[in-house]
Amino acid sequence: MTTTVSPSRAEQQEIDASAKWPVLVFLGSALAWLLLGGVMQLAASMQLHNPAFLSSCEWTTHGRLAPAAENVLVYGWGFNAAFAFGLWLMARLSATTLRHGGWLFVAAKFWNLGVTLGVGGILAGYSTSFDLLEMPRFVVLLLLAAYALIGVWAVTTFSIRNTENVYASQWYLFGAAFWFPWLYSVAQIMLFRSPARGVLQPIVNAWYVNGLYSLWFAPIALAAIYYFLPKLLGKPVKSYYLAPMGFWWFVAASALAGGSRLVGAPVPVWIPTLGIVCHMLLVLPLVVITINFLGSLKGSLGAVAGSLTLRFIALSIAGFLLAMLLAMVLAVRSVSAVTAFTQWESLRDWLLLYGSFSVAMFGAAYFYLPRLTGKVWRSPALTGVHFGATLLGIVLLVIGLAGAGCTQAHRLADAGASFASITDSLAGWHAFNSVGLGLLLLGNIAFFLNFIWISCPINSRSTASAEIPVPPALTLATKEGHA
Amino acid sequence: MKNGLTLFLGVFATLALSWAGLLLAAHKQLGALPQFKDPVEETLNPAPLSGLARQGALVYQDLGCATCHTQQVRSNSYDTGENSRKWGERAGYPRDYIRDSVVFFGSSRLGPDLRNVGSRQPEAENLYRMLYAPESKLGGAALAHGMPAYKFLFTERAIGSSQPSYKAVKLPAGFGPAEGVEVVPTARAEALVAYLMSLKDTYDYPTERGLNEPAPAAHAKEGGH
Repeated sequence: MTTTVSPSRAEQQEIDASAKWPVLVFLGSALAWLLLGGVMQLAASMQLHNPAFLSSCEWTTHGRLAPAAENVLVYGWGFNAAFAFGLWLMARLSATTLRHGGWLFVAAKFWNLGVTLGVGGILAGYSTSFDLLEMPRFVVLLLLAAYALIGVWAVTTFSIRNTENVYASQWYLFGAAFWFPWLYSVAQIMLFRSPARGVLQPIVNAWYVNGLYSLWFAPIALAAIYYFLPKLLGKPVKSYYLAPMGFWWFVAASALAGGSRLVGAPVPVWIPTLGIVCHMLLVLPLVVITINFLGSLKGSLGAVAGSLTLRFIALSIAGFLLAMLLAMVLAVRSVSAVTAFTQWESLRDWLLLYGSFSVAMFGAAYFYLPRLTGKVWRSPALTGVHFGATLLGIVLLVIGLAGAGCTQAHRLADAGASFASITDSLAGWHAFNSVGLGLLLLGNIAFFLNFIWISCPINSRSTASAEIPVPPALTLATKEGHA
Repeated sequence: MKNGLTLFLGVFATLALSWAGLLLAAHKQLGALPQFKDPVEETLNPAPLSGLARQGALVYQDLGCATCHTQQVRSNSYDTGENSRKWGERAGYPRDYIRDSVVFFGSSRLGPDLRNVGSRQPEAENLYRMLYAPESKLGGAALAHGMPAYKFLFTERAIGSSQPSYKAVKLPAGFGPAEGVEVVPTARAEALVAYLMSLKDTYDYPTERGLNEPAPAAHAKEGGH
């Protein structure tokens, strides 16, 4: 039996103080990108049911606006939010302060400069046309250099840890910190530095996109869930001893699963087959993760309703499980034959990025911001709007994208339907999805206002030195399986 | 799990295995795929793109056409309407793509597949009209219903007393500008249309033909030797 040095409340405050400004800078830029990306995504969605909308200006035609919006959400919002949360959690779990945080400001500046230039490049017509790698080549070194600083900080914080045990969240954070730069630089080299020929390019692209979702966004969402569940429920993760197997199996299988994005494509057939097999192998980690998460939640629904963070985390669990199930079903050859190239595939990726990862980041922010700033959330109405709009928006988009996907799959397979009539039959669904995206944007504006309120030093006299509710103490002495 | 080194080695092995197993293996198999020389015609296939079409591919890339259009025809073994929709005379082979400096597979068919648009729509005039006035009718149906109009790829100029341009796009009534104004494609539009017209995978490689056939039934092999 090992003993964990459990950091006392005073130590935690010291850690939080050291992480305060880097985290606030990353989260602030993340939220600015989130709003910009939300507006761009909404505009791009409106173009689908109203093709003339913003089409007279070359910079805002759908072919440029849609990928630019996706890049803003992935590299602007997603990465900044992951940096904010990951650095804070790594420091907390390693029971050590985040040192020399000034360098992280430099990294944040470079990262955001890179994303700004990259998105501007896409809008200006310098896109590379590869999914999620559209940013022009000139920003690559900027992004990698900025990332190097941030990733080194996370890994260094881990390696000077003051704890004996390494908790599940740390495995996922540590892995993600290494996987992203490898994925990104390999994809850059094989696509642009010394470009692979012919269909190898889409193979590299599929490998990268799959890796970005399942070896970067999914691990960070899982790290958040593994951390907050025991923390806020006050009990260890159920059947925690299964978690290491779930981790290794999940990452090993999903690293090889990228080929399932190419089912039926003109590539050697072993590539999609390997992807399909690896997706089917994901059943086991999915069962482990379900036991860990739903087992912990069982009997604690009262606690979930009472905690804003837990409500977001519960939503994130649902999003994650649904996204994984969908990915597995869509990988099946006979399903993929009809769902390929339809909105079902957008739903699969969007659900992991938004329904799981982003929601987990929201929940985490509701937990760490009061602790970092020593203030409470000013407006419960705004937090209510944020959660309600996020929940409703996600439900609407799941219905809308699935509905569009069904219509598209059904009618594309029917040779009697002219392409124009398919476009017409999708217009209603696209309009429906625009409503969902508008709702999400509304919720995010509410969150942004609340964020400004809590993080801005001048606007807070009345709430300063507020009491932060201490999470319930762990009821069991078991050291494994809690954070 | 307590050991940081074990964790690192595992994390490293995960991605190294995936890179070597998927990308390196695929590169070994396909990286050196050559053109095929037709034994009778003595032509090299796929034929390289013309210079203008190459420029057009850059326009295709910069406008993000791949956001809504795929360029891949799937094999006939799927009952997906792939055949009946006539996306192509045959499914695509990896060899078809070795002439492309950037491969635009795409992943969404909000618009139709374009891999063989050059053989479906051999008239350049119609492609120009699709880009300028996608809703204009051809044979009773809109040319490219639901697509935004790419009017910035054209210049509109008053004819006045000068001679009309021979490149001017002929537009049906109601879709063109005012009387006495002509619509002339810019160099980018000409390159893009040249590229679109070059998109046709018509040559059927005898070496690859078997790849898309359904697997032979087991009994067919019996008695082979």
